[in-house]
Amino acid sequence: MDILIDSLLAILTIYLAFRCMLAPKLSKAVFVFFAFGLMLALAWIRLGAVDVAIAEAAIASGFMGVLMLDSLRDFSLIFSKNQERLEETASKIPIKKDSYHWTTALALGLGLILFLLISIQAIWEVPQGGGLTAIAEANLPMSGVEHPVTAVLLNYRAYDTWLEIGVILMGLLAIFAAGGLKQYRKPGLAPAQDPLLRKTILIFTPVLFLFGAFLLYFGKMGPGGAFQAAVLWGAIGILLHLGGWTVFTVIPRRMRQILVTIGLGFFMILGFTQMATGGAFFEYPPAYAGFLILVVETLAAISIAAALTAIFAFLTK
Amino acid sequence: MKIGTYEIYSLTSAILFAIGLGGVFLAKHFLRKIIATIIMGAGVFLCFVSFAKRDALTFADPIPHALVITGIVVAVTAAAFALSLARRIHKLTGEDTFGNEK
Repeated sequence: MDILIDSLLAILTIYLAFRCMLAPKLSKAVFVFFAFGLMLALAWIRLGAVDVAIAEAAIASGFMGVLMLDSLRDFSLIFSKNQERLEETASKIPIKKDSYHWTTALALGLGLILFLLISIQAIWEVPQGGGLTAIAEANLPMSGVEHPVTAVLLNYRAYDTWLEIGVILMGLLAIFAAGGLKQYRKPGLAPAQDPLLRKTILIFTPVLFLFGAFLLYFGKMGPGGAFQAAVLWGAIGILLHLGGWTVFTVIPRRMRQILVTIGLGFFMILGFTQMATGGAFFEYPPAYAGFLILVVETLAAISIAAALTAIFAFLTK
Repeated sequence: MKIGTYEIYSLTSAILFAIGLGGVFLAKHFLRKIIATIIMGAGVFLCFVSFAKRDALTFADPIPHALVITGIVVAVTAAAFALSLARRIHKLTGEDTFGNEK
């Protein structure tokens, strides 16, 4: 029975990935991409990685899909322009430039199949190491949390998580730079909205906030944590933005900067304070570890949520 | 050879990576290329977590899980940056592919 479910999920995931690449319309590819992310989230659950499943469904499928959809509008077409151009040229001149020569296609196909075989063989030969499960489990009582994945993220490997928040901030800055550093859309210019949409968004806002807070706190003992909560809180910002309340653009500039950097900053100050008091970088005193991790997670979640909202608000202006 | 969850998903991960690689080379539109890189990344993550499943003791190895969560967030940030670059190119030149014929 297990094998049946796993093979079905695997086949579906591969099929959807194929459709993403081969769907004739770009809009179709983007919608299939949503489905692909959700199927992958199910695969994570089958592999026992519930934290990863939540992150995949929320960030990789949800947030990325929303950005993709928005880009579709920005490319100002629901159909792929390539497709139209292809049809246009097909009617006038015999197509040459948009199709591959059959020898090229054959070589590329064979190369890909060879690559696939090599990678399968490589995966097959990875030795069974036993991993770090035993060490992670042995140190769990000292980490301040009960869930091993949260312990790894915010205690054992806090350095990775800290730099990850930095990567998000850097991505935000890079997007600002690539976008040509224009101002956010003024709140007065927000388009007139459907009253039903606005009402629905207002109903969903507190629910999302509460669920995010729950995930944040529950990360201590089960699947959940800062990133999952941050995406839900970021979703609030995105929904409000779509509904015409451009929250992120009306709060003062200083406040925005503080919101976006507070997670990274507090994390860093905490790390250096621990060093000053004689510990290693990010070595929490076991007595306060649980509390410190909760504070760090909350601030990081606020920061990431603000950064995600800012990315969306800036890209859709 | 026994076929279990680990075997199925590690095989899937290799196929996903190959699909993504093919997409990066063969897809024309920027958006599709970006989707292809995300699929490639998904293949790598799937492979990594399936090892955690294989080596599980009382619970699955939490280190790959934590690293994959980090990886997903970084991949999405990079893809969002790629999207903003693609949109900038489209805005400035009207192009939506790396066309070098014209």
